[in-house]
Amino acid sequence: MPSTAKISPRQLTILAAIITVGDSILILPSIPTYEAKMDAWISAMIGLAVGLLVIQLFVTAGKLNPKLTLVELNEHIFGKWFGTTISLLFLAYGLLSISAHLREIGDFSVSQTMPDTPIEAIHILLLFIMILAVRLGLETFTRLAEIIFPWFILFFLIFTISLLPAIDINKIQPVFDNGIKPILRGSISSIAFPFMELVVLMMIFPNVNNASQIRRSMSIGALIGGIILFIIITLTILVVGAEPASRSMYPSYDLAKRINIGEFFQRIEVALALVWVLTTYFKLTVYLYVFSRGLAQILRLKDYRMLLLPTGMIIVVLTLAVAPNISFYNDYTDKYWPFLDTTFSVFLPLLLLAGYAVRKKMKSSH
Amino acid sequence: MFPILGIIAAAAVITAIDMPTLWRKKYVKEMWVFSILLLIGTGLSIAWVLHVKLPSPLSLLAIIYHPFNDFVTRLLT
Repeated sequence: MPSTAKISPRQLTILAAIITVGDSILILPSIPTYEAKMDAWISAMIGLAVGLLVIQLFVTAGKLNPKLTLVELNEHIFGKWFGTTISLLFLAYGLLSISAHLREIGDFSVSQTMPDTPIEAIHILLLFIMILAVRLGLETFTRLAEIIFPWFILFFLIFTISLLPAIDINKIQPVFDNGIKPILRGSISSIAFPFMELVVLMMIFPNVNNASQIRRSMSIGALIGGIILFIIITLTILVVGAEPASRSMYPSYDLAKRINIGEFFQRIEVALALVWVLTTYFKLTVYLYVFSRGLAQILRLKDYRMLLLPTGMIIVVLTLAVAPNISFYNDYTDKYWPFLDTTFSVFLPLLLLAGYAVRKKMKSSH
Repeated sequence: MFPILGIIAAAAVITAIDMPTLWRKKYVKEMWVFSILLLIGTGLSIAWVLHVKLPSPLSLLAIIYHPFNDFVTRLLT
């Protein structure tokens, strides 16, 4: 199924930035602060640096043939059977990611803001608007992202500036207290959750109207998102402190609760939650688009839109089945999810590049 | 009983939304894929409502990636 939707490099940058921030703005800070305590900001910096390298890797793989999506590229390089198997695994990863991230929103809403609402209701409502967006197409929801992005930046600036008076520099000292190993442990999730998950954008590289700009767009987008995450993690340590933050499930939410300017400007944490739901919503919408279009390409269907509602029904069950409770969820995703991300954002591009090199060699030896 | 009826009603509504277009355009393969996905979705939902124990996909991840996690943990402690 060829897609005629076109997005500009600027829109790709914004999508990349929003996906980088995605669910990480609320979920991520607790992991490096738990592992590295007051050195978590170094973990975040390492995360940004390595994350940008990973992006260079899969952009290089995507550029082997910029006219093909990842699913088509798999088939083109690995042949029909092996390529399709890899694509199906990739789609399973997409479906699992949608369910897991949706569950994060559900768990957060139920535990922090709406304790009496059944979690399914929140999942179904969000799924409904996701499906609506994907049915309208890639161009429509990227344009929405473009409209919302400046507001998101504005809110983030207000958020940062109103926290500046609460900073306590003593909370970040001593630096390097526990050596390098906890910092590296903390950086694993800081690489995987925001940056490696950008690999789903490989499915929409052919839709970018100027292929030569892809590398630049992806890097700038990830850099913007990475800087936002770095500031959030650093502020969490400076304002809340490493110890309380490492015990909290949502440290940046606690951070927003601290905002209090003149006993008047306060209680803006729900605004942060709203921003988080919004960025996660875009991330999930892109995932859902990638999943439905990928499935349509594997099965060579003429359209992908009719796949959305039945897929939605499967996702509703998966979000509930993915974990019996939130501590199981956090434990398993902290331990194993970074490796799942690594498989598809590092190992798969390397395999693609190797396969391409072998094919080229075989062709030239004939 | 009531939740199961609700699920079947939802499946019926989904069919009513998408099926007529596919039928008019004579998209046979698309109709098959749509029906199979919908059947999986309905089946899973009913199984969930009836408290059938569905395995968590995360447990599968744990089986696959357990050695990697062990290795990294040993390396960094």
